[in-house]
Amino acid sequence: MKIIEAICAKGLPKRDLKNANRVNLCALLWALTLMISTYLSENELLGNGLLITLVFCIHTIIGIAMLVAYRHFLVQLDEMERKVQLDALALSVGVAIISFSSYSILENSAIVPPLKAAYLIVLITLTYIVGIIKGRISYR
Amino acid sequence: MKNRLKVLRAERDWTQADLAEKLEVSRQTINAIEKGKYDPSLPLAFKVARLFEMPIEAIFEDETEVAIN
Repeated sequence: MKIIEAICAKGLPKRDLKNANRVNLCALLWALTLMISTYLSENELLGNGLLITLVFCIHTIIGIAMLVAYRHFLVQLDEMERKVQLDALALSVGVAIISFSSYSILENSAIVPPLKAAYLIVLITLTYIVGIIKGRISYR
Repeated sequence: MKNRLKVLRAERDWTQADLAEKLEVSRQTINAIEKGKYDPSLPLAFKVARLFEMPIEAIFEDETEVAIN
């Protein structure tokens, strides 16, 4: 029950939920444009230089909009929830740096294959989600 | 950090949601402060003091200071 309440961010003011939804929408669009551009690129449908520029610009602009929306969300956020968010961000960055650093030792020794950036993004995202749930549970 | 928030709130017959609305924070934040799980920021502590018309020291108690004394 506590975990479900933590995932749903139950009890946050409407303003914060509205801002969070805006961030989520931007994140969804950002991931969608990345998937579409990857699909087009893999199927060699991005031969035109203008098309590459267009796809690049759309993806980057949505990414910047996502960052701005997240900053706005953090600034207006309830102070305890802001602490939870910042702790989760710190945890995800720390885990990513340590994992990347440790993996690079194995990679240099040719024990493991080269690290894909996508794995690092997934690791950061998962750690961030775990950090938020852990933070919300610990303050309830 | 210990505090008298729960007592002061009960004296005024306010629910956690009422106090949260007056202080413009979530009910979870009020609950965490009352339980001593979360220490409010200085601006929020001042806001609490203004709302109850009391000095901050009369509401919040620094446990480190208590231990030293």
